[in-house]
Amino acid sequence: MSKTRPSLRPSLQGYVLLGPALIVYLLFAVYPMIDVIRMSFSSWNGLSPQAKFVGIANYRAILTQDPVFWGALWNTLIWTSAAVIIPNLIAFGVALALNQNIPGRSGLRIVFYLPVIIASIAVATIWKWMYDPFFGLFNGLLTSWGLTGLIMDWLGDKTVALWSVFVAHVWQSVGFSMVLFLAGLQSVSTTLIEAARIDGAGRWGVFRYVTLPALVPTITVVFVLSLINSLKAFDIVYGMTGGGPAQSTQMLAMWAYTQSMQLGVFGRGAAVSVVLLLITLIVVIPYMRWMFKREDMGR
Amino acid sequence: MRMRNALAATLSVLAITAGLGMTSAAAEELKVWTLSFDNDSANVAWKKIIEEFQAANPDITISLENRSVDEHKAALRVAAQSSQGPDIYFMWAGLGLGGEFVNAGLSQPLDKYYDQYGWDKRLVGTAGGFSKIYEGGRHGVPYTFHGEGIYYNKALFEKAGITQPPASYDELKADAAKLKEAGIPAMTFGGTVNWHLMRLMDVILEAKCGADKHDALMAMKVDWSTEACASASFQELNDWSQNYILSPFMGIDNSQSFNLFLAGRAAMMLEGDWLVSQLRNENRLADFDLFPVPTGTDRLYGFAEYLYVSSKSDKADAAAKFLDYMLSDKVQQDNLGAFGSISINSNVKYDKIDPLDQKWMDIFAQYDKIYMNGDQAFPLDVTTEYFRVINEVASGNIKPEDAGKAMQSFIANRT
Repeated sequence: MSKTRPSLRPSLQGYVLLGPALIVYLLFAVYPMIDVIRMSFSSWNGLSPQAKFVGIANYRAILTQDPVFWGALWNTLIWTSAAVIIPNLIAFGVALALNQNIPGRSGLRIVFYLPVIIASIAVATIWKWMYDPFFGLFNGLLTSWGLTGLIMDWLGDKTVALWSVFVAHVWQSVGFSMVLFLAGLQSVSTTLIEAARIDGAGRWGVFRYVTLPALVPTITVVFVLSLINSLKAFDIVYGMTGGGPAQSTQMLAMWAYTQSMQLGVFGRGAAVSVVLLLITLIVVIPYMRWMFKREDMGR
Repeated sequence: MRMRNALAATLSVLAITAGLGMTSAAAEELKVWTLSFDNDSANVAWKKIIEEFQAANPDITISLENRSVDEHKAALRVAAQSSQGPDIYFMWAGLGLGGEFVNAGLSQPLDKYYDQYGWDKRLVGTAGGFSKIYEGGRHGVPYTFHGEGIYYNKALFEKAGITQPPASYDELKADAAKLKEAGIPAMTFGGTVNWHLMRLMDVILEAKCGADKHDALMAMKVDWSTEACASASFQELNDWSQNYILSPFMGIDNSQSFNLFLAGRAAMMLEGDWLVSQLRNENRLADFDLFPVPTGTDRLYGFAEYLYVSSKSDKADAAAKFLDYMLSDKVQQDNLGAFGSISINSNVKYDKIDPLDQKWMDIFAQYDKIYMNGDQAFPLDVTTEYFRVINEVASGNIKPEDAGKAMQSFIANRT
């Protein structure tokens, strides 16, 4: 009779498997987050050996004295609101179209997804050239169509600069949401669709009462991912305008970076980061609660 | 017999290796941190200079580390907290960039080496002068020195009926008006890089405020909101941006601006002496000429790049020896043009130089004082606000009379 070694209890096995990931997470995500909060109550220029505790002075400074903070916050909120609606609506429409049996469907899917795999800084460079006021594509087209009155300094006029960058962001991000929507559409039960048709539902009825309800989990995931990605918008804005002209396209994430890494005001940069963190948590916590509730209901 | 030979050979190899090891252990290693220069001739020159120095000084080895601008600044910040930083580091001169590190105590005074090696006798006075602007002694030695002036398109000046360069700021404005009348945008700037348009504000301040008041404004010792010349300067900036700068300019950078200048889309460009080599590369030297900005003061607009000895270094003597070698007549003569069109060594001879280079030589000879770029005069956070206010005024979003208030409000809130 052979002896078998007792295996680990399932819960313990889970912890053992989780251990390495947990250590990495604690070290590279949780610790820096806590350290940023600590830093936000300190004054440190990155050069002196010690940071000095200053209480809430950094928060007071960014909220009452910083000429850029509120503009950056407003831009972040505007950008986020637009970014969760516009690219996703376009992506949804494209996904619906590309879910049909149309010729060249695979090629078109690749075309729409291609911008997603291009590095943001490359996207920024491409669009910067297209926006060039003298030699760029857009002003060139407007000139050739005789619409010289519409010619603009797309990235240099503060009334349109943020939206010019946003168009580039839409171009880059539609493909990602489209793929998620496509996956969601393909998981909609054909049996249900056929049943609805037999019951007399038209195209709109099938979409409204079968497809859309089945897509709710996908829509939620897309919405939340867009929301989080928009709140931390950085690279494409940095690459296209660097926050200019006159800080008019500045975002909270970029302003935190600028304060810390370029101006050497680490305490204020950390305070901006903490404000951004709080805004993100306000958004993410309800989502997490909703997700866990769904999981519990599914058990 | 073969065994004995093999043993002897092994012992010989070990002896040689040990000997090399002893030499290597005895040699002092100097760590030099500088930029990865876009101008590759500078990178090549650095390597050559180090090889020659090491050959002449076998007791010192140099380890050179190059980084991009932002990485270099970040690396210096990180190194400030450790003993693993450089012995010698590159940084601009002035209170803004170099001054931040000097004021944080990360540079050691070099007064005794200035005396020991007699650097002042061979340095161009304006280049070496930056070492004196810091408190607590002389910091750093010049690596390059640059003057900035106004380049102009000769054909466009002629077309507008301008026969000679302006001798005063008012004449400059009058010429700008003549160019405008002839349908020619007077000057080109790239607004996305904030420092490009800043140059115009810097020279206007020098012209409108005079040297002392300008310096006091940059040192934040007078009130920007109440100083009449500050308000007048912002008014001038607004006037230039509305009437005389090739528009639109806020959405282009300095290199796009240069291309427009080359294409004859604007008559003037406010640039440094390095533009001569760019024009040479384009084979367009004959089409352009230059003059110093006529501000009415006896100062040239310019800046310097420096090499500082870290306060964390315990090899200051060796570092000074290397810097002395860098500043020497021979090294500067051999590498003339590698770091900039003008050497920081006054003993260097310039033969067969282009007329525009000669023009710069004449300008450098004409001035013995300089005023520096705003982003090197101000601390970094004030520079950022300076950029913002300038851009807002140039875009017409802030009234010129409110710009000084915005500056002063930011300065007052710093403490």
